[in-house]
Amino acid sequence: MPGKTLLDIKNIHKSFGMNAVLKGISLELGEGEVLALIGGNGAGKSTLMKIIMGIYHQDSGELFVRGEKVTSNKTSTALANGIYMVPQEPLLFPNMTVEENIVIGFERKASDLHRELVEVMQEVGWELELSRKASSLSIAEQQMVEILRGLLRHASILIMDEPTSALAFDETESLFKSVNELRAKGIGIIYITHRLAEVFQIATDVAIMRDGRLPIRGKVEEFTREMLVKGLLPPDTQEQEATLKEHLKKIDYENAAPVFELQNYSGYGFQDISLKVYPGEILGLAGVIGAGRTEIATTVFGRDKVLGGKAILDGRDITGLSTRKVLEAGVNYVPEDRHLHGLFKISDVAANTTSAMLDDPSMGRFFLNKKEEYRMTQKYVDDFRTKVTGQGQLVGSLSGGNQQKVVIGRSLSTSPKLVILDEPTRGIDAAARGDVYTIIHELRNQGVSVLLISSDMEEIVELSDRVMTVCQGRINGEFTGEDINQDNLMAASFGITKSAEVEA
Amino acid sequence: MKKIVKAREFSSFLFLIALFLIVGIINPSFLSADNLTACFNESVVYIIVSAGMAFAIFIGEIDVSVGANLGFTATVVSCMLRDGESWALAFAAGIAVGALIGLFNGWGVAVMGVPSLIFTLGTNGVMRGMMYVYTGGAWVENLPAAFKQLYTTTLVGSLSICFAVTAVLILLIHLVLRNTKRGKYFIAVGDNPSGATLVGIPATQTKVAAYVICGILAAIAGIVFSSRIGFVTATSGNGYEMKAVAACVLGGISLSGGVGSVIGSSIGAVIMASISRLLVFMGFGSTYDNAITGIMLIVIVVADALMQRRAAEQNRRQRLAARTAAHEKGGAAS
Amino acid sequence: MNQSFSQKAKRFLKSWELVLICILIAEFLIFGAANEKFLRPAMLFNSMNDFMSICIISLFVTFVMITGGIDIQAGSIVGLTSIIIGVSWQDFGFNIWTAAALALVVAVICGALSGFFVAYCGVQAMVVTLGGSFLYSGIALLVSNLASTASYQGISGFPEYFKILSKYKLFGLIPSQLLIFLALVVIAYLVLHRSKYGRRIFLVGVNQQAAEYSGINTRLIIMSTYMLSAASAAVAGIVLTAYLGTSKSDLGANFTLNIITAVVLGGTLSTGGKGSVVGTALASMVIGLLRFGLPLCFKVGTQYLDIPVGILLLVVVVGRAVAANPSMAGLFAGLKKKKASA
Repeated sequence: MPGKTLLDIKNIHKSFGMNAVLKGISLELGEGEVLALIGGNGAGKSTLMKIIMGIYHQDSGELFVRGEKVTSNKTSTALANGIYMVPQEPLLFPNMTVEENIVIGFERKASDLHRELVEVMQEVGWELELSRKASSLSIAEQQMVEILRGLLRHASILIMDEPTSALAFDETESLFKSVNELRAKGIGIIYITHRLAEVFQIATDVAIMRDGRLPIRGKVEEFTREMLVKGLLPPDTQEQEATLKEHLKKIDYENAAPVFELQNYSGYGFQDISLKVYPGEILGLAGVIGAGRTEIATTVFGRDKVLGGKAILDGRDITGLSTRKVLEAGVNYVPEDRHLHGLFKISDVAANTTSAMLDDPSMGRFFLNKKEEYRMTQKYVDDFRTKVTGQGQLVGSLSGGNQQKVVIGRSLSTSPKLVILDEPTRGIDAAARGDVYTIIHELRNQGVSVLLISSDMEEIVELSDRVMTVCQGRINGEFTGEDINQDNLMAASFGITKSAEVEA
Repeated sequence: MKKIVKAREFSSFLFLIALFLIVGIINPSFLSADNLTACFNESVVYIIVSAGMAFAIFIGEIDVSVGANLGFTATVVSCMLRDGESWALAFAAGIAVGALIGLFNGWGVAVMGVPSLIFTLGTNGVMRGMMYVYTGGAWVENLPAAFKQLYTTTLVGSLSICFAVTAVLILLIHLVLRNTKRGKYFIAVGDNPSGATLVGIPATQTKVAAYVICGILAAIAGIVFSSRIGFVTATSGNGYEMKAVAACVLGGISLSGGVGSVIGSSIGAVIMASISRLLVFMGFGSTYDNAITGIMLIVIVVADALMQRRAAEQNRRQRLAARTAAHEKGGAAS
Repeated sequence: MNQSFSQKAKRFLKSWELVLICILIAEFLIFGAANEKFLRPAMLFNSMNDFMSICIISLFVTFVMITGGIDIQAGSIVGLTSIIIGVSWQDFGFNIWTAAALALVVAVICGALSGFFVAYCGVQAMVVTLGGSFLYSGIALLVSNLASTASYQGISGFPEYFKILSKYKLFGLIPSQLLIFLALVVIAYLVLHRSKYGRRIFLVGVNQQAAEYSGINTRLIIMSTYMLSAASAAVAGIVLTAYLGTSKSDLGANFTLNIITAVVLGGTLSTGGKGSVVGTALASMVIGLLRFGLPLCFKVGTQYLDIPVGILLLVVVVGRAVAANPSMAGLFAGLKKKKASA
């Protein structure tokens, strides 16, 4: 079935300083193939794509497009070779129309472009009003515009970087339709994703990257989901999981009073959420990105308007309080986007650790109690084994894992009753991930309740005492004990309930 | 037609008419043909400077050196004319000076990446001082009478040639911006800088070009300025940068870049230029000029910011709400 | 406390403040060599009266710029303060101190107004304070119309006990303005670098979102910095009025460039999050001495003084851009090419 080879990558190596990111990657992409590229964070996927796009240059190895060797590493060369990358977040001009967005940057005449654009759209069967302003488009439509940009450039190789990460459910479906149409045209697509379900829905081929290598590549039919999961994990994970499982705590759900409770809680992006968190419990809140999990957390944390229901902490109603008051009441939140909402990059470790506890009297009345600040900071640096050269080190120069430890330290500095951790291990390396897990376990052992939000089902399975799944803004499942496994959670997160699965 | 009504410039235009009508009701003599054309004639310098400023704002930056630029080129051109140089040479020299100042600003902002306000503030100081150096602090007077008449020559009725030429110039700039490939780059760069680079728009070059155009227009305004006033002092052009920004904002140009047109900035410029006149006709002294300008500027930017924020917030909330509703509604997005 | 002395010394040796001190010393050497009058203490101290307002305001505009904003209205508030003192004293018969207090209150309200629009409405600080500079200088002009004296003359004849504010000399040498400035430096230093409020200012400037997630009321903090800078402009206005003995509405109209240059030269990051009171204080002295030394020693006219200050600003910001990104240096060459083709 596959036609000619479009893209041939041979034994590519790339290092940044001491850090080898790609350790000999070879990959082929043929006409009409949708190659799902999966792999954990830091596996080297985006570096590889940037090399294909000519943004980075490989240390060694070769790149062939339609059999011809690529010699210059420029974005313009990649574009000329018919390679186009649809970025994760579409980069449109919000104040321009759809058509202006697509044809901008071309040397050809506007009327020719218009005609060609209409032809291309007919060919792939898309309908999009060309005079609409880009700011009025949904994200899926914006992605269509991005793809049209590529098609008008006669792209034969499309790279799509986690295209569904910001999409609502129905938008995902329309995107998949588009991908199928493109494939039928003989275009080769590299489809980067974190979602295994999508691999079987959309891809013809699959490749797994792990730690800068690409050990697995083959037709989708040859794989099962279990094989992919195994391929993603380092060989020794199974045992680790087993040992960690033994830590599971027994909580007397019948008699214990919940620390934190949401009652029919509604806000922007979620509806009718009811849940309880018990003392010393890790409640996993699983769901895909965009399911509304983060919105639940940020709304509780006073960052957005509450539309209905109640949030109760230790018997006290904290619905709709400001962030400051929520912090005071005893909730702290480790944000999903560490860089945007968590870190003060050009401030030092000490300032980052204590930023949420400045109201605390121990930090001084008017003047800052530097002794106390030093003590607090040192405590978390020691406890979490954060690698810093000193408290004066700027947080921007720390590794992702150590940055996250600093943010978690901050979230504990206010001695909260409930800590909400939102994707606590996103973008950090394996060793740091282990450390963060240890920290979370210790927290629980100290009696702090944890609400763990994650789209990483392994993480949820490994850490949670009890799990609730969120799908499209609603809670659609609760799992305890043996039922907490990746299959169940993944299915629920994608809105497939057990009974529905049987019917299908 | 619908497009025109929806455009941001249109509301500025309505505001202009409303303003004139209100003053006309208070003092009917304001609405005489002579007075109205005088309003337009007197706004030529503002229109040209503001169009230049619009370019800087389109790309999401600002240029507060246009006042000094205007003053300095006025000085250079006036000195040359006074000393009997040919008009063509003097004008060319003035425009070249303006372009160089613009190029320097463009280099600092686009190439070196210095925040535009700070960089052009520095340029402003330097050029202000250079005016003293150039003239030794003396007034430049005794310009050729023919040059001074340039400003007052009328075309039809009391409408000046200067205004007519300026109007045509603005229209041309507008058409180029709207209909040519490169013209659209300015708006695109301000609209989404990283997106612009991705589709192969040379962002740095476009930004430098915007500053050069801004500089050239400031220089042209400087030439018109000297013809209008008839002499140039060391403080000529002071404050024009502020009025130009105000005119752009009044004309519906968003200060975050990527939105607006030179038609808008020109309407704003007419309003700005007419404020003193409006005040006089309403029976206030022109001492209210600065205060009124300040209030208008603040009110408009605050209103604009609040509306934009509300729209963005609504968008976000609608999006989030759509997610929860998605599985009830079903179907593809269209 | 937590660092050894040698660590502190090492950090000092690498600091920008040291560079500024070197520049100051260089100024003394060059100007002193060119004209020994420059080094006469009486002369030197007297000269400070002329630029002390800029020094005072720069200290607190630093606060604003650390939050990532900018304040170009401070100059207009100086004039507003001055004229309010004059008019309320001369024409409304206020006690001179009451008049000064009234001026201070009005200034703080002006700062709060602009600060409110910046912090709570999300308008760019530059435009708001630009409008503010129009508005407040316009109000100053209107206030001056209330006076019985013509506005170009200004209001004078203030009582001696008011003028003493700037005429007093410690040990018959050190002018009171310098003392006021030094006191404000200490206060600003303690507030910005030692207090919890100061820490919050920095955090807001580094990452406003993250500060919000830390429970900091970032909007209030931002607004307060504009109030502080307006208050400092009022203090400068009071001192300047006392020093000149005249109240005029256009005092301080051309301070903006000097203030911003002082703050930026002092090491404050124009994108916010970084800056120091000591740096700004030193930088404002560098500028002040420049404005004093150039006319005295090299016969540079005072009208020309914006040139060296403007150049200083440009050199600092460009230099910093190059330092932040060494590859930028290559772009100098690129520009030359572009110029040739243009």
